[in-house]
Amino acid sequence: MLNAEINSNVLKDLVDIVGTIVDEVKINLNEEGLNLKAVDPAHVAMVDLSLSKDAFEAYEADETELGLNLKKMEQFLRLAEAGEMVRMTLDEDENRLVLEVTNITQKMALLDTAGMTDPNVPSLDLPLSLKVKGKYVLNGVKASENISDHISITANPDGFEILSEEDEDMVRLSLNEEELEELNANEEVRSLFALDYFSNMIKCVSKDTVLEIELGADYPIKIQFSFAEENGSVRYLLAPRIEST
Amino acid sequence: MNVDLADEEHFVQKNSRCALCRGSKNLCGRERCPVVVKYYQRMESKPLIDSTDISGSSPPGVFVGRYGYPKVNVGPLVPPFHGDTSELDMPELWVGKKIDDIVKNRTQLVRGKYPIRVDRFDGRNRIADITQQMALSKRPAEVEAFFSKKPGGKIQLSDSVQPYGPSGPLKKLDLGTIKFDGRLDKAHFDTDLKATKAVVNLYEKDVYISKIQRAFSVGAFGIEENRKFVPTRWSITAVDDTIGKELREEVKDYRPIDEYRVYETWELDNRWEILMLPRTWMYELVEAWYPETAWNPHGRDIAIISSHERYEGRSDYAEIGGCFYAARLAVAEKLSREKRQAGAVILRETHPGYIMPVGVWNVREHVRDALKKEPKTFDTLKEALFYVSTRLDIKIDTWKKHSEVLRDALYQTRLSDFGVKRKEEKDFKFGEDRHWN
Repeated sequence: MLNAEINSNVLKDLVDIVGTIVDEVKINLNEEGLNLKAVDPAHVAMVDLSLSKDAFEAYEADETELGLNLKKMEQFLRLAEAGEMVRMTLDEDENRLVLEVTNITQKMALLDTAGMTDPNVPSLDLPLSLKVKGKYVLNGVKASENISDHISITANPDGFEILSEEDEDMVRLSLNEEELEELNANEEVRSLFALDYFSNMIKCVSKDTVLEIELGADYPIKIQFSFAEENGSVRYLLAPRIEST
Repeated sequence: MNVDLADEEHFVQKNSRCALCRGSKNLCGRERCPVVVKYYQRMESKPLIDSTDISGSSPPGVFVGRYGYPKVNVGPLVPPFHGDTSELDMPELWVGKKIDDIVKNRTQLVRGKYPIRVDRFDGRNRIADITQQMALSKRPAEVEAFFSKKPGGKIQLSDSVQPYGPSGPLKKLDLGTIKFDGRLDKAHFDTDLKATKAVVNLYEKDVYISKIQRAFSVGAFGIEENRKFVPTRWSITAVDDTIGKELREEVKDYRPIDEYRVYETWELDNRWEILMLPRTWMYELVEAWYPETAWNPHGRDIAIISSHERYEGRSDYAEIGGCFYAARLAVAEKLSREKRQAGAVILRETHPGYIMPVGVWNVREHVRDALKKEPKTFDTLKEALFYVSTRLDIKIDTWKKHSEVLRDALYQTRLSDFGVKRKEEKDFKFGEDRHWN
């Protein structure tokens, strides 16, 4: 059972955040809200998202699984005005999700969740953590897009750096300890990441959102942030590239 | 600065203008492509058609021009003789032929040109009507073409379209009795069936790509009010793209192959080495043009260009052009038949014997040909690449620099390398291909 009403902006954010990883996802619903985990087809990136019932205008649900096609969901959400409420109910007999915005009702076939297992979230012991404002990382990534297809992220007790280099060209974003919201570092670590994955992961982040980053040396990066006015939380994991050439 | 020594004696030139343009985009700013003009001159000795009236068996072949779109020249391709000419417009049968034979065969086809607007023909125009009927014919069509002046002696060459001979303005066109290909005809009469659906349906009924493309170019498919003539060049890529996409989405439901594979074929002084990797879909075509080959006429360096797509495909047009889509169709077709998915990179080394462009079929049919053979299989990427290095002249390090698929395989780690486990192989049962991961 599901009977919910939610701001279309929140739903759009959710679809964007998960849609950069997979096209189809299994969402676990319960009385408290929803959560999901998904790994991209190439096994390079993972998303772990939860959204509390407080993010909804109205929320009532039993424990159940929804197999959702995010592309279809995205198309439906284009019909909703910014900030408009979306009503969501389940047509359990027909196995369909019923979505309604003003004057429009869409019934969407749900996917069979039988083969969709939750991936295990690895317990990674990452040596370094920091908090940084979204605007800095967004700028660093934007600058890198003109240079190369990968970036290196370095952090040490003095600060944090995003570097992109190719042939003779280089661009670097450096932040010292004061410019960061928080920094817990005893050593210097550095990892390389594919830029297309990285920039997709932060594309829904606003300038003021604080990103919590955990980092290791040639190790996956963990990026956490909240959305839906702190009622939703996202955790991404991205596997590194190893040094090329 | 270029310090990239590709083989024993050549450097690499990235994004070479001719390799990107291939006579189609006027990138050098000249009015006519000097490369193509060079081939014309080589062909100038061909006897001209010395008549304004040609009677012959069209393979059947038709041609829809692109200049002046939406007002273009349409009409048949007719050789000045009768008989079973079907092979002349069926590239599926050309694998193994010599470049001279292909060009000789094709240049016998005379192109009739009749100007129409692509979207206004609805059966009132006899020449457009006959052209359309011919494209649906099962067997060669007996045609008599009357030109308002003698067809000109220039032959046409391009990277995407197979060559053809002289052309002239059509005055009148007569057609003998023809028998329609039932499969094409059925799609033609279904005016509620979308063109993309028609293309895919016909492919699934084993209709040759060249036949589907020909019928597509005369606007034989689609919702009635959307039907229009499509320039031959565009129709080839549209059909390759449509079928390739359909097959790609299908193979994504299957589980990856178990090993590294290398397929190969060498034809027309092109070496095709196709590496398949045990992973989810990713695809790339990398082409290396030696100096003095068709699209590297002036260089002293090897010109290398590539285009790739990741799992989700790409929305912009591939840098490398129509051959990207032609080869993708061949790769996805092979995987679909096997009910498996894979990552694939095609390394194409074009040596100086490939003196002139013969059309995009060269890519589609030769990749298909390679994929029909038994592959060499390997447990590791390293072994597979070592084998490839013994088959190509250009060094593997150079290919790596230009291949996103190879770089991804070599340098991108997976979460599973750090303890995120994918679904155990033993849990897998056939029929559960969906969500195998």
